[in-house]
Amino acid sequence: MKLFSIIIFFIFFNTQQISANEASNWLKKEIDIILNSYKNTNMSKETRFLIVEDTINYNFAGAGIAKFVAGDSWVLANKENKKKYIKLFKRHLALNISSMMEGYSHQKYQLKNTDFDSHSKVSLIEMEIYHDNGSLTVTWRVKKSKERYYIIDLLVANISLVITKRSEFNSMLKNINNSLEELNILLERQNKISYNKIIN
Amino acid sequence: MNYYKNIFFTLLLFPFIINSSAYSSESDKVNTNSDDFKTSVYEDEVYDPLEEFNRVIFGFNNVADKVILEPAAKGYKKLPSPIQLGISNFLNNLKLPLVVVNQILQGQFENASDSTGRFLINSTAGVLGLIDVAEKIGLEQQQEDFGQTLATWGIGDGFYIVLPIFGPSNIRDTAGMILTYVTDPVNAYAISENEEWILPARTATNALDQRSRIIDEVNALRNNSIDYYAAVRSSYYQNRKAAILNIDDNSQTPLPLISIEFE
Repeated sequence: MKLFSIIIFFIFFNTQQISANEASNWLKKEIDIILNSYKNTNMSKETRFLIVEDTINYNFAGAGIAKFVAGDSWVLANKENKKKYIKLFKRHLALNISSMMEGYSHQKYQLKNTDFDSHSKVSLIEMEIYHDNGSLTVTWRVKKSKERYYIIDLLVANISLVITKRSEFNSMLKNINNSLEELNILLERQNKISYNKIIN
Repeated sequence: MNYYKNIFFTLLLFPFIINSSAYSSESDKVNTNSDDFKTSVYEDEVYDPLEEFNRVIFGFNNVADKVILEPAAKGYKKLPSPIQLGISNFLNNLKLPLVVVNQILQGQFENASDSTGRFLINSTAGVLGLIDVAEKIGLEQQQEDFGQTLATWGIGDGFYIVLPIFGPSNIRDTAGMILTYVTDPVNAYAISENEEWILPARTATNALDQRSRIIDEVNALRNNSIDYYAAVRSSYYQNRKAAILNIDDNSQTPLPLISIEFE
């Protein structure tokens, strides 16, 4: 009985470890695509952003994050506004991440600890970014679904991008009667400003 | 020439972009359930009764940051790395006596012992704290302040407040900051020696050192927020929460529940 328990524990632990390592290898590949595009000086800023945006759209659970961030306003909105919001939010997410990753492109990084939370089925992958005078920890939350991994959050020094966005959007939505239509107007305006900053 | 290079790279990457775009629609097939909205109310409800006033102070701080602190921090970053590192180590070492006091007040006796060892080693072998010798032998820098101590004792954070120059805080952390100011041995020594200029000089250098480490992160947040004030407020609370709970890994940070369900 004891031996059986040990075998079961070993199989369980090993499966989790394989899953965590698999997620880490996948993430490294995707991060390198983004960071290498910044290192390529022959590329225009616009082309570079489009590559980064595409990589982010492909790998982030963008629509799910968008719904979470919108909170109760999502339920109240009509189909057309929801569709527009998801499109705008995905660009907003790409602009946020791309703006941050650009700063990391000339620094060395290492994927360190990978933990698998069996309760939420989420892998937490720690990325250490080395500055001249120290380092910064960025943690990626990764979830597997239908044989593919998706990033569901990014934490910089324990500050979650998704939770910050939810709080920010919630504050804005309170002032506009939880109207997703109004939020779309503001988001579109902000995206244009951010996009111009990135490509110029 | 650059024009042709751009065309070349766009054509080269075109199949990749098309391919990825086709896949990216897969990531859109994501469902969230109603529980997602109920479980995360806590981070939306920062008690901020002075919001209007706070926004005015925040606006002032933001301008001061753009005009003074950020350019100064960029200049500071151009200093040779060993000098920046030396300044940073020296400032961190000065904080240690109060870190030890707060660790004791929080019942973290092992950490207090480590921090004491760290202070003694770096103040002597580390040439007044300029060189971080202690880290090489496994005594890492830990941060504890009176705000964290008060939180550990069960004192609530009160309400959110933006302090001129000092930035985001709350009633508890402001009280903690005042306690730090009046009990700090370095400050007390400077006042007793009629060298009061040391106090603002130390605060300013500390601000510069900290700001220089987060130039990219602050710019990313500032340039891409639809409500920068709310984004900073949320970041402040998340950061303090992690500090109070002494979270080293991120496993305890609230997880946004996003369920991925494919149709």
